Amino acid sequence: MNQFTLIQGPSRELESFPHIREFALAKNTTIQLDSFIPSEAEQLLIYCVVEGKFEWFVNGREYILYPGDIAFVLPGQKIGGAKGFLEIGTIFRLHLDLHRNESDLSLGEWSSLSSCESLSIEKMLLVNNLSVLLKVKEGIEILHQIHNELINPEIGHVTRVNHFIDSLLIIIARQSTRQADPRRDFPRTFMKLEQELRRNLSHQWSVEEMAALFGLGTTAFTEKVKHHTGFSPLNYLINIRISEAIKLLKRPDVNFTNIALDTGFYSSQHFSTTFKKLTGYTPGQFRKRSLLNDNT
Amino acid sequence: MECIITIDLGTNAVRVMAFDIKGNVIASTKGTYPTFHVEADYSEQDPEQIFITMLYVLKNFLTEKIHPKGFTVVSICFSASMHSLLMVDKSGVPMGNAITWADNRGKKEAQELKNSELGRQLYESTGTPIHPMSPLVKVTWLGRNDRERFKKTSKFLSIKSYVLQQLTSGYVLDYSLASATGFFNNQKLQWEQAALDHAGIDAERLPELVPVFHSPGKLRKEFQTSLGLKDTVKIMVGSSDGCLATLGGGVWDEGKAIITVEDSGAVRTIGRHVIRDANQRLFNYVLTQDCYVSGGPTNNGGVIFEWYAKQFGDFRNPFDIEHTIQHLIHEASDVPVGSLGLLFLPYLLGERAPIWNANARGTFFGINIKHEKQHFVRAVIEGILYEMYSIGKTLQEHRTINHLTVNGSFASIPLCAKIIADLFRMPVSIGKNPDSIAQGAYLLSATDMGIFNSLDEAARTVVLSTTYSPNTNHHRSYQRYFSVFEKLSTRLSAEFEELSELQHEQP
Repeated sequence: MNQFTLIQGPSRELESFPHIREFALAKNTTIQLDSFIPSEAEQLLIYCVVEGKFEWFVNGREYILYPGDIAFVLPGQKIGGAKGFLEIGTIFRLHLDLHRNESDLSLGEWSSLSSCESLSIEKMLLVNNLSVLLKVKEGIEILHQIHNELINPEIGHVTRVNHFIDSLLIIIARQSTRQADPRRDFPRTFMKLEQELRRNLSHQWSVEEMAALFGLGTTAFTEKVKHHTGFSPLNYLINIRISEAIKLLKRPDVNFTNIALDTGFYSSQHFSTTFKKLTGYTPGQFRKRSLLNDNT
Repeated sequence: MECIITIDLGTNAVRVMAFDIKGNVIASTKGTYPTFHVEADYSEQDPEQIFITMLYVLKNFLTEKIHPKGFTVVSICFSASMHSLLMVDKSGVPMGNAITWADNRGKKEAQELKNSELGRQLYESTGTPIHPMSPLVKVTWLGRNDRERFKKTSKFLSIKSYVLQQLTSGYVLDYSLASATGFFNNQKLQWEQAALDHAGIDAERLPELVPVFHSPGKLRKEFQTSLGLKDTVKIMVGSSDGCLATLGGGVWDEGKAIITVEDSGAVRTIGRHVIRDANQRLFNYVLTQDCYVSGGPTNNGGVIFEWYAKQFGDFRNPFDIEHTIQHLIHEASDVPVGSLGLLFLPYLLGERAPIWNANARGTFFGINIKHEKQHFVRAVIEGILYEMYSIGKTLQEHRTINHLTVNGSFASIPLCAKIIADLFRMPVSIGKNPDSIAQGAYLLSATDMGIFNSLDEAARTVVLSTTYSPNTNHHRSYQRYFSVFEKLSTRLSAEFEELSELQHEQP
């Protein structure tokens, strides 16, 4: 085995990169039994095939990977050789530390992605939940750049390495969206968005975040949504919010502030104004009407 | 200036259109709502979201497009897709989502009833085919499988009844939608006791039956304020999408029929009497006391061509299916009639009329080494239209038809309209207003207001813009291919069943 491996701790090259747990360009020339038994990842793992053909077991499924293909493993998912060993060939390995709570993962301060961008990328990766991406064009190239910067640290190498990791995550997210939906079926992708909106209605969604799920820019996205639904993306969201609020108003046990916040309004005042503008009722009047066995 | 608003609570969207008194379209808009499939065979929609979407769309429409032009709304007429079922408790609060026409959970209940003597009698008296789509079957299913909800249900409603109750008060259902519930005697115009008994409910738990011109009452004050409408606006209960599309297509005389193909499709005629089809293949829905809309529905309309386009079309831009479809239509139009003997059975979603086989599946038949991609494209189009022809032929067993109107986004494609003309060997016209449901609702309102003396007079004002004439040679070729298509559609039923069982085993 001809290895170039950097490991956080022993390898001084990674001193300035606490988020990189491991970086390797591994050239495997012999087969060793049990060298790659499927196990649960503790970090975010990115494996990219440079040469050879690999049969891996990734996140519950078997895949055959060829040069340019990337296996993308979230913490808690499993990866390993389908036969328990690593085949002959060359791969890049990158292990990244992520902060992951219940449903969100977030990058650290090292990343220069805006919070909105990184949120969008996280959403894309989580929603698509694809573990193997095929022929990621720039993948190998970016990993070679990271490799070069790490072995020849020149001025600015910290910034560049972190930028390259950002780039890698961006192209992985974009590719996962394209692969999850070959961008043919707008209604189906819209249904996925609708589910996401409902699952997390209290979140302050931006149009950028929504558009990211489609791999579209905001202008094209807004136009498509308008054409498909008759509403702008944000108005469609208000529509869902009010519909969900109405259901809660019909249950006497939930108070207005909770309804407002659960359904994504800034405050009960904001909720009340929006609700009245559309329905003519204040939330209070509406609740009273629906709790009376009404025959008005 | 006065204007009439029509609101259609459709399968995927609410569509709102405004007409001036003379019937010119002023403007139109839509708002979609989702369908949820929480389990295989389930198809549900959120009644609150439908209501709010309707209100939101209407409000924006009025403030942006109607009031600024100086129009005063005098009447709002409703239509809705058929067969929906919503359960509400004694306070009128929905218990769960509404169940749509596409829901198949009552397969077993439908099969049992259909094969019984009672089923035959109920089909005769109600005119609704015994099928999982029918609210009669859905309520029966609930009584057996969701006892708790069944018992707590104060009213079994349609989505339109719920929306109207929210806007005004009181639970009403027009004869048209009622005649699609399976609970309604279409001769006596009242609930059918034998159907109520079968489902285990009494008439108290159904909405009040009213004619299509009926008004459930004034718009509630709060909505008058938020929408900027006067309290004199007549809220009209209206009819079903199918009945109104027929009226709005100008189909009134015997001898005329309308073919609608959107996602799904139907062939319909109008007559003074119901059609009694011994094989229970056709529906009979009530428009007015002496006017019945009879015909057959298919599951597999434009949605099948869209499926094909998504799988096999060339996409130049992301999500740009319009361009892809145009390109495929262009390719298909250069292929000779009959696609060089390549046949396609379009039953990807199972089928209703005329074979009524939920297990039917799509089939390409007769592929040879000369067939290329474009032959498949045309075969798909022809297959969808053979199915429409097949329903039309079933209707022709009972009625003479000599002129056709087509509408709906798929049937109105010139290539499709031409193929329909050739298949039936009849002139085919396309209505000037592409939305014949809204056109029909306008005619209903205008007749109610006394602008027309009768629906008969109203229907005669419908303007048909384009007409396609049949080509006899093409007709002869199509006849030969159709003969094979027709045999295949029933001959494969054992294999369809076997295969659909296998498909159900897949996770």
